[in-house]
Order: sequence, then structure tokens, then C-alpha cells
Amino acid sequence: MTTAPCFGRVASGVAQKQLEALFGATPGVVSAVLMSADGFEVVSMQVGKGSAGRLAAMGSSLTAIGSAIAREAGIVECQRMIIEAQNGTVVIMQVPSAKPPMSLAVVSNTESSLGQLLWAAKNCCAAIGKAFKE
Amino acid sequence: MSADGEFKIVFTGPMGAGKTTAIATISDDAPVSTDVLNNDHATFDKESTTAGLDYGRIVVDGEMAVRLYGTPGQNRFKFMWEILSHGAAGIIILIDASQADAIVQLEYFVDVFGRGKSVPIVVGIGRTGQPGSLAIDAFSVRLENHGLALPIFGVDVRQRADVLLLVDTLLCMVEAPADARLRA
Repeated sequence: MTTAPCFGRVASGVAQKQLEALFGATPGVVSAVLMSADGFEVVSMQVGKGSAGRLAAMGSSLTAIGSAIAREAGIVECQRMIIEAQNGTVVIMQVPSAKPPMSLAVVSNTESSLGQLLWAAKNCCAAIGKAFKE
Repeated sequence: MSADGEFKIVFTGPMGAGKTTAIATISDDAPVSTDVLNNDHATFDKESTTAGLDYGRIVVDGEMAVRLYGTPGQNRFKFMWEILSHGAAGIIILIDASQADAIVQLEYFVDVFGRGKSVPIVVGIGRTGQPGSLAIDAFSVRLENHGLALPIFGVDVRQRADVLLLVDTLLCMVEAPADARLRA
């Protein structure tokens, strides 16, 4: 049985507030998970406990594979991935400067605009990255 | 065997068993790795861990191409196990004999990757020489108690010959008639 590591209460609290702000300001956002690079949920919004863990693991796998593809293609580092599905969009974005390394997955429905979603997620990641910089 | 005449085999097993190293040891080309920083030092104290997959490729005996896929070891990445094992000709399970729950881990991975399937499985047991490690016989006996007879080898995943022995054994099983195979 694996116990999820602790990622720091203060920084996690800041991250939770940032997710709440993202929800409040961005139409169409239905859930979000901040995850460590090795697949642990750090904080989440509007996702069931089991689902958040699964989404964190899947998101970290995708991030790792995206990074491997970017390196293979010689374009250095994967910064974000966009999954466009019939009923919505998932954006997975690396959190800059975070220690330990993290990514944010944001799920939206068809009410969202991709440009707005990317802009909001990028700002959210920047704020979370500052909280986890030290 | 895939449409292009290449075999796909999958290395699996718990975190820290040596899957990434095994593929890097035998791959003809530079392997693809998706290692990330490991935060879970309680489960296994090491710097990095595989979050996506490992990939390598070898040509055996100058003619048979084999694609080598490695899974993440942690249960939370189980969805990758299903994705990566799809279409696999065989499975290599690696176990670290120095882990306290090594036998339970072997039973678990044999069950997940073998139950209800006819895919051949070979088992590699590492770190058998460390203090407190179980002997290979202990793993064989446990599987026999479940009515399973799988090839089990001691392995140092840093040694090319050791890892190739696992692959060669698996390929022999793949090419054997289905009713002559050992089954999980």
C-alpha cells in the first residue's frame, strides 16, 4: 500500500485557492487536478477522491511521454498537451519552477473557449509555481 | 508477432525491480525513458521512477526484431499496464528478492498479467545475493503451490547476458506450440 507523500501545507493551500480562482473566472471548467510528476494528487477541484488519483496518475504518464516525444523530436521540453474530445477539452500543463516537478490537468466542457482555457491555466500554473518554488 | 514481423515483449514488475535498467542494458538503440523525480521514498528509496513507459529494440540472432516495452511499477499506473500489454507476445516479470513482500509481488504480477490469458511469462529474480533475500526456490515453490510452472531465473539486470537469457527463453516459449507452453 502506497501512502501519498506530503507536498507542503502552505503551498498546497495556495494551490487550492488558485484552482478555486480558476473555476470562478473561467467558463466551462468542470474539474482540475494538480499532480506531482510521479503521479500523486497534490490538490484537486470537483473530482472524486478515487478519480482524482487516477487522473493524477494518467496526467503524469502523459506528461512524461510528452516530454520523451519532445526530446526525441529535438524540440526540448513539452510544456502542455491538449486533448480535444467530443464533449470537452483536457489541458495538461507543466507548472514552471515547481519543486518537486508538477503538472496541472484542467477538464472543461463545450462551453469553454480553448484560448481562454489556456490563458487561465497558464496564469494558474504560474501562481502555483511561485508557491512551490522553494 | 506484429504485422511488420516484429515481436513485442513487455517488462513489468514492482517499483525498483530493474525494468528500465534491463531494457537499457540490451537495447540496440538508445532507449526511450520517461523517468521522473520519485517522491515516494517510503515504497522505494531511489531518485527517479518511470511514469509512462520504457522502450527499446533489439535484433536477436541477426534476424528477429524484438520491441521491448517497460511498464511503470506502481499500482496507480495500472492503466498503463493494460495499454502496454495489448498485443504483447510475452511478458517478463522482474522481482527484487530483497524486498520483504517479494513473493506477494510475484503472485500479484503473475495474476494481473497471466490470469485468463495464454501469453507466455518468464520471471527474473534480482538481488538474490543480498542479506535477507529469498532464494529463487522460494519463488518457484510458491508458484507451484498455485499450480504454476514458469521459468524463473536469477538475474542481474545490468548484465546483458542475464537479460538476454530472459528474452531468449521467452521467445522460445512464444514460438512453441500453444499447447506445449507453460501457463500462468
